[in-house]
Amino acid sequence: MAAATHQYGDLATQLLVESRRSTATDTLLKYNDVLVRSIVREQRQLEALLQAALAAHPDEVAPNPLLPTILLYQTAINRNKRCLLAYHAHRIDRLKDLYWSVGGALPLLLSMPSAAPAHANADGQGNAAAAPADVRSKLSPHEVDFLRSYNTSILTLRTEAFSSAASMSQDDAGALTEDVDLMAPVVKPPKDLHVLVRVVRDCGVVHTEQGAIDFRRGHRFLVRRADVEHLIVQGFLEEV
Amino acid sequence: MADWLEGLDLEPNDRPRAGPSFVERARHAPDDDYPIADDFGRPNLLGAVEEEEETPFQQLTRHWMNERQAPDILPGQEMLLGRILDHVRKQSDDVQLLRADPDSSEDEHFRIMLVQTEIERVKFVVRSYIRTRLYKIEKYARWISTTAEVHEKLSKAELDHARRYARLTEYHFNQSVLQSLPPQQRSLEDDMAFMPPMIPEPDKLRPVFVHARQECPPVRLPDGTSIAMEKGRISLTPYYIVEQLLLRGEVELV
Repeated sequence: MAAATHQYGDLATQLLVESRRSTATDTLLKYNDVLVRSIVREQRQLEALLQAALAAHPDEVAPNPLLPTILLYQTAINRNKRCLLAYHAHRIDRLKDLYWSVGGALPLLLSMPSAAPAHANADGQGNAAAAPADVRSKLSPHEVDFLRSYNTSILTLRTEAFSSAASMSQDDAGALTEDVDLMAPVVKPPKDLHVLVRVVRDCGVVHTEQGAIDFRRGHRFLVRRADVEHLIVQGFLEEV
Repeated sequence: MADWLEGLDLEPNDRPRAGPSFVERARHAPDDDYPIADDFGRPNLLGAVEEEEETPFQQLTRHWMNERQAPDILPGQEMLLGRILDHVRKQSDDVQLLRADPDSSEDEHFRIMLVQTEIERVKFVVRSYIRTRLYKIEKYARWISTTAEVHEKLSKAELDHARRYARLTEYHFNQSVLQSLPPQQRSLEDDMAFMPPMIPEPDKLRPVFVHARQECPPVRLPDGTSIAMEKGRISLTPYYIVEQLLLRGEVELV
């Protein structure tokens, strides 16, 4: 029987392997609810065993003959707990990476699959490659909540951050917020003012330096990078 | 022409008589129209003599590099950031004006383009600086919210975000893991022997490359000896050894 070879902590190891795999392949794996639940069950079991072992010899004075047993249970409990937390912390980090990689467009991130019908009339399945597929179904409900609150926190930070810096200088304080777009990518510094883009998904009329441009799928434009940076990040445009 | 030759005629300890060079004048100009000049200030990044004041952008670049290399969170440079952003805004406005002016020549348009590119690059540094701090703040959010000494290094907005983020992660852990565990196992602050602490702290032992910007008082190494950090010297040391020097701006991380 498979259970014969089962040890305490095996499940937690599986969980960690999953985290590692996620890092190694740079993908977000589906939230492993089943495994998390079975580890929680193991924890309850261990706790019961631990309490039983403690209760067997309530005598405080004499050294408890079950001391090694207790130590073993305790270690297993602690390890499992840390593995569980590590798994969740790791997922949070990944989610935050995803969040920043789409420029903080949370609705876009969550509704990756359902975004397709919205633009479907024109481009059908064309955008599947650009966007991480079906993010929401891989999240636990708590993780969705987490992302929402995180988004709120970041938005608050954005409005506050520069108003405090700007209040040192005299006039209109809030205006600086628009000057620096925190969400823009920070991987490589801009080398050119302009960028040649191809439209992957229709995104309607956008006001740029050269006036309003109607971005329609398949067209190419040479535009100012700063004007369309967010559209590139969100996968509407593609650099050529 | 003669003046130019005169300027070249350098005697060992003699300054060129023609006065400060264009680069120097540009650097000292308070509201220079062409921030391109800012870039001239770093010809010898690790080189020797540089007596002049740094321009705000050079300062920001230095703080940005420090922030990116240091394991700990460094004091935020809000004043500096505010000044630079002001300047950027002013430049952008000027550019708008000049572009709209039909009289600007081809040559001027070229310069406008340079200015615009430079503005974008300055914004990039600002952005990266803020994001670097944000990364560390989130990483150590729970430590920050319980450690009062760190608070003064953060701006109010950053501190608020750290607190919110710490609460958020704790709430998330509680919701997704801890609440389903037996009550004895729900603490987030276990202090176990042989286990890393549950609240991550900056690792001040991490080695960093440090470059002395001026003569520094000798620092004591862990093995008891001390070394003098002469100007221009680059060494690899644990972060905590140069922490004080870094805060005083005598060294920079590279």
